[in-house]
Amino acid sequence: MTQVKLISALVGGLLLMAGAIGILESGAADVFLEATRPDFQKISLAVAGIHNAGGPDWLGGRIEEVLKKDVKRSLVFDLLDLPSLGIKTVDIGNGTEASSKAVFKQAAEKGVSVLVWGKAGLKEADKDADVNMEGFVYDSGSDEVVGGKRYAGSPSVVRLMAHRFADELVFRYTGEPGIARTKIAYVAEHGSARELFVMDYDGYDTRQLTADGFLNLMPRWSPDRRFLVFTAYRNRNTQDIDMIELATGKRWTVISLGGLNITPALSPDGNFLAFASSHEGNSDLYRLDTRTKAIQRLTSNPAGDLSPSWSPNGRELVFVSDRGGGPQLFLMGSDGSNVRRLTFEGDYNAAPVWSPRGNWIAYVCRARREYKLCLISPDGQKRTQLTTGPGVDDSPSWSPDGRHLVFSSTADGKSHIYMINADGKDIERLTFEGTHNSAPSWSPAS
Amino acid sequence: MTKTLGIYGVTLVVSLALMSMSGCSKKSVQSGGDSQATQGMAKGGTADSPKSGVGSFPDTSLQSGGGGLQGINKNPSEERVGGGTLLAKVDPSGSAGRQMDEIRAEQAASAAAGLRDVFFAYDSWTISEDGRQALSRDAEWMKSNSSAQIKVEGHCDERGTSAYNLVLGEKRAKAARNYLVELGVGANRLSVVSYGKERPSCNEHTEACYQQNRRGHLSLKTGK
Repeated sequence: MTQVKLISALVGGLLLMAGAIGILESGAADVFLEATRPDFQKISLAVAGIHNAGGPDWLGGRIEEVLKKDVKRSLVFDLLDLPSLGIKTVDIGNGTEASSKAVFKQAAEKGVSVLVWGKAGLKEADKDADVNMEGFVYDSGSDEVVGGKRYAGSPSVVRLMAHRFADELVFRYTGEPGIARTKIAYVAEHGSARELFVMDYDGYDTRQLTADGFLNLMPRWSPDRRFLVFTAYRNRNTQDIDMIELATGKRWTVISLGGLNITPALSPDGNFLAFASSHEGNSDLYRLDTRTKAIQRLTSNPAGDLSPSWSPNGRELVFVSDRGGGPQLFLMGSDGSNVRRLTFEGDYNAAPVWSPRGNWIAYVCRARREYKLCLISPDGQKRTQLTTGPGVDDSPSWSPDGRHLVFSSTADGKSHIYMINADGKDIERLTFEGTHNSAPSWSPAS
Repeated sequence: MTKTLGIYGVTLVVSLALMSMSGCSKKSVQSGGDSQATQGMAKGGTADSPKSGVGSFPDTSLQSGGGGLQGINKNPSEERVGGGTLLAKVDPSGSAGRQMDEIRAEQAASAAAGLRDVFFAYDSWTISEDGRQALSRDAEWMKSNSSAQIKVEGHCDERGTSAYNLVLGEKRAKAARNYLVELGVGANRLSVVSYGKERPSCNEHTEACYQQNRRGHLSLKTGK
């Protein structure tokens, strides 16, 4: 119960930079409690329809649906439903009509801070013509139409238009870029092979990236979103770390040392690639200087070390080691210095990922023989279990805004990909096809 | 406490810096990002394995990508929405078919040789008595088929993380390999590889299936 409180406080705190500063002082319990104050209220937002202005019947509704889901997922806004507030969603046009003023007044009285509406249609009668979308924003605080957006693009990118508009809304009210245009890379079974795929953060627009017919595992994004690093098997015998460029599909090997070469992770500045390799005996951690190509060994231990994840400032790594028996989380400087154990609870803690805000590390913990998601603060003072129930949860990955995680789970029998809020609420399933989808990795924001 | 504050203060500064960087990158156009990528690639070439063990590495530090936001304003100009830089098409190398053929050939050859798998307990890479017996027969076969090259594959059940199971799989493969060497099989005839939980022989969530997947599998190399 306390844990739930703390975590919901965390999300509240994340929403404001001021709140985040409170949380970042995570060494002190009193400061952490400060962040539990309900300082931050989600901004109430309602969508008064994206109306069709000459185009297929589905057009406006599709954009509106995507936009509403994005707004809700942003966790910045509290999405209100106008009909249930007793407000009719009429076409507001560009917001200058007297009738629109009446709608604004009604909405403001019912507590709507931001009212959004728009229209969408085809540029020409031709069904292959470009789609035009216009979106408008009314702000009840200033009682004015603060502006809008105009988009054009092929009918295949209408979801992206909605995502882009949603990100603009988040950007306007938080100064942050939003996550609606982020992507999730993952592994899916394709025949007996496991290939890399990329989808939008909401599970749509899936694209296959590799087709080599064997195993491609654990993709991670480059900071600039243009590349993925991942583990692949050359001739099924040798594990290498490969890189693929998303725009071109070009793929090549970056680490080919022999033995096990797994869990690559690029530093936030892109200057180092941390990875685990067993080419000198058992699995240890190394880092490649991506400019000089020099490889530095970070751990030298007869146990298995793996799964490095960078702190957002690039100074530290959290990783897994079974030097104490079962796998546990450890921290060290990114040069291999100052190794110390982070987790002591339970006999299986693995797959750590450092949150982009720096204040939490998500990982897989074993509880009652089930593998679930847990969070721990980097100072080890706070720990909480995010998911419960049967099934193997694996490969957590943070959204760039630090408010969500994506992970794989066998909770529904087959392995699928899910999104969850950092407070453990709002689990949303993202994949529905196939029998095995795993190893999701959330892209940085653009 | 003061120390902690210092460390996280730095975190905050860096994340603020990153944020402002992504703000600056608003103006960068997508094609700019693409040409950068091509330059990085030109040095590296294809999937050939470099002798040094390290391939080419492009500059990935740029914060450009899917196009920046231009803000909500009173007189918005029309923005063209495209697919961004994520236009990847599947690598058409056709290696999938070749791999399938090779896997089938390996499986057939291994089955024909009668090679036995060795099974492991949960979380364990210790060779059991049954495992020793299976490996003893495998060792006999290898001695009477002295040109055969064997790949020892380490596999795991679905429980636990993908990453840690790769390490566990390697421990299992090496345990089986080491026992074969103890029995007199030349180490140069044995290679090890871990497939973790990524190539299960069954997919049920039952102990019987888990046991079947926690295995060291001996695969007879047919090609390279």
